[in-house]
Amino acid sequence: MRKIEKITVTIDGSQVSGCEGMTILELAQQNGIDIPTLCHSPELTPIGACRICVVAVEGSRTLVGSCHTPITQGMVIYTHSPKVLETRKVIVELLLASHCGSCYMCEKANVCQLRKIAADLEVGLPRFQTRKRYYPIEDVSPYIQRDLSKCVLCWRCVRACNEIAKQNVFGIAYRGFNSKVVVDFDQPIDKEVCQDCNVCIDICPTGALSKPREVGEEKKGRPLVISS
Amino acid sequence: MSEKRIVLKNCEVIDPRHITTYLTRDGFRALEKAQKEMTPEEIIEEVKASGLRGRGGAGFPCGLKWELARNAPGDEKYVICNADEGEVGTFKDRYILQNDPFTLIEGIAIAAHAIGAKQGYIYLRAEYHHLLDSLVNAIDQAKERGFLQHVDIDIREGAGAYVCGEESALMDSIEGKRGEVRYRPPFPPTKGLWGKPTIINNVETLMNIPQIILNGASWFNQIGTERSKGTKVFSVSGDVKRPGVYELVLGTRLKELVEELALAEKVKMVQVGGATGRLVPYDMIDTALSFETILGAGAITVFDQSRDVIDIVYRTMEFLAEESCGKCAPCREGTEAMVEILGRFFRSEGMEKDIRVLEELSSAMMLSSLCGLGQAAPIPVTDSLQYFRNDYENRIK
Ligand SMILES: Cc1cc2nc3c(=O)[nH]c(=O)nc-3n(C[C@H](O)[C@H](O)[C@H](O)COP(=O)(O)O)c2cc1C
Ligand code: SF4
Ligand code: FES
Repeated sequence: MRKIEKITVTIDGSQVSGCEGMTILELAQQNGIDIPTLCHSPELTPIGACRICVVAVEGSRTLVGSCHTPITQGMVIYTHSPKVLETRKVIVELLLASHCGSCYMCEKANVCQLRKIAADLEVGLPRFQTRKRYYPIEDVSPYIQRDLSKCVLCWRCVRACNEIAKQNVFGIAYRGFNSKVVVDFDQPIDKEVCQDCNVCIDICPTGALSKPREVGEEKKGRPLVISS
Repeated sequence: MSEKRIVLKNCEVIDPRHITTYLTRDGFRALEKAQKEMTPEEIIEEVKASGLRGRGGAGFPCGLKWELARNAPGDEKYVICNADEGEVGTFKDRYILQNDPFTLIEGIAIAAHAIGAKQGYIYLRAEYHHLLDSLVNAIDQAKERGFLQHVDIDIREGAGAYVCGEESALMDSIEGKRGEVRYRPPFPPTKGLWGKPTIINNVETLMNIPQIILNGASWFNQIGTERSKGTKVFSVSGDVKRPGVYELVLGTRLKELVEELALAEKVKMVQVGGATGRLVPYDMIDTALSFETILGAGAITVFDQSRDVIDIVYRTMEFLAEESCGKCAPCREGTEAMVEILGRFFRSEGMEKDIRVLEELSSAMMLSSLCGLGQAAPIPVTDSLQYFRNDYENRIK
């Protein structure tokens, strides 16, 4: 049997050790360091799409995604340097700029991870005037409602459907800004298999996927209060 | 003059339809030498010692890449020749494929032997479909003559996406998936095509291999500069009298290529390296072309004084936004935001604060994007802000 190697790294100035194969994010979490993530979910294989989890590693030309980069012996990592924070903020700002912004009537407003990250990073009104993503709400199915104007293209639903529900209902189509999570050839979702599985709805970080709401039903979660 | 033909040695000399014309010019002698007189390790040592670096844009040391793949565990390995040539203003690989497919095939065959690959692929740009038959014919002739007993070479055609020239998206495309960038590590030499050790090399990189094997690393090593050995094939276009493909010793000055060879006049600026390349204002035209300075994949686009810098940068950004694969947020959203801002400058509706916003956005994209597209997309913006800032300031409302 192969021995699991211990790896020593320096993270935010302190020396800590982890196991071979561990990601920077896992090591940080183990040591009580909070790194924001959006596309990552511990139940899914990493994809490195949102780039919000980036950290600085000495010797690297660019920042690196902590959710998918394995630790290596002697690595020197900074999780909250000014450059790192500034970069994360710009990314969140970009996501907010093209986001529909109708939080006040969003079912998931109080549990939205995009809002939470924006609040934590103190991102205010975005400086970009990018066009908003707009798609009509898909409510053909009685089990799942898709409002893709709120989608942040984290691919969590795509991966969850594939890896957890083993169904492969979702795919990605188009490219660049027009990239979109689609079903078949971009048809509204209305599938036999999509009934009460809920896997994608629970894992979606925003209000893009939800259960059709009953009239008079209360919003989920406690109001998200952003302290100043 | 610093013109020298190594890569283009056989172009317009041999008949690309007949292998016999290639064989009379030392064709496949390098492969024979590599197979009969050298071990794979010796081949890799030779390539490493030659100092050959990748010609596809990134300039990674070729021998080192091969060594990583050779040493990676596994019996199933792959060689991929990147003939996607999507970079704006490049057409040198097309010229090579058209005129000398045999040297390329020999280069791939040597690479396969060196790393222990039994399968090679040529990833051909969709728009080069007209070259398919000629390539297939060349492979068939090499096979008939018994040169490809150790490796099968197949051609895979792209579907017309710029990003599929990026190595990880290219592998997705060969695997039949949507061409999208993967995060690294793992790098292709350890985990590439179908998860197996893979080397991906540009057409021009592989074209150098047969002569390095035949003439030795020390011959190749004498050509070029300290960290840029050999020659580079340039695609020159734009406001020049003699556009076309030129092969020059690395380290040659941009001025010589643009003014003396391509006969450009009243030059305002040269874009070196295509859409994500550097902008060189005329007063820096003496810059040497090398990995130490500026190079990219060798696209040289010349703009004369009648051209508008903001127009060029705006259109470049529109191209990059359209070609972004859409996977990572900074590139997908960032290029779109840049198009919006640059569009306003283009219409003389810029705002004072936009310049700072552009700078901060550029920095975030460069630092956090998943691949070279998003990381390099801001270069035309940052370079034009550095050298042509007035053009922006004059367009503030
Ligand atoms: C957006 C993008 C497009 C690229 N397009 C090409 C291309 O068309 N041809 C090419 O050889 N390399 C291209 N590359 C570089 C490849 O990723 C890779 O570095 C290269 O093929 C490696 O070969 P080399 O080491 O021989 O240069 C591209 C890179 C990026 C980021
Ligand atoms: S619908 Fe939700 S889970 Fe799916 S990609 Fe969009 S934001 Fe992510
Ligand atoms: S959380 Fe790591 S890239 Fe999205």
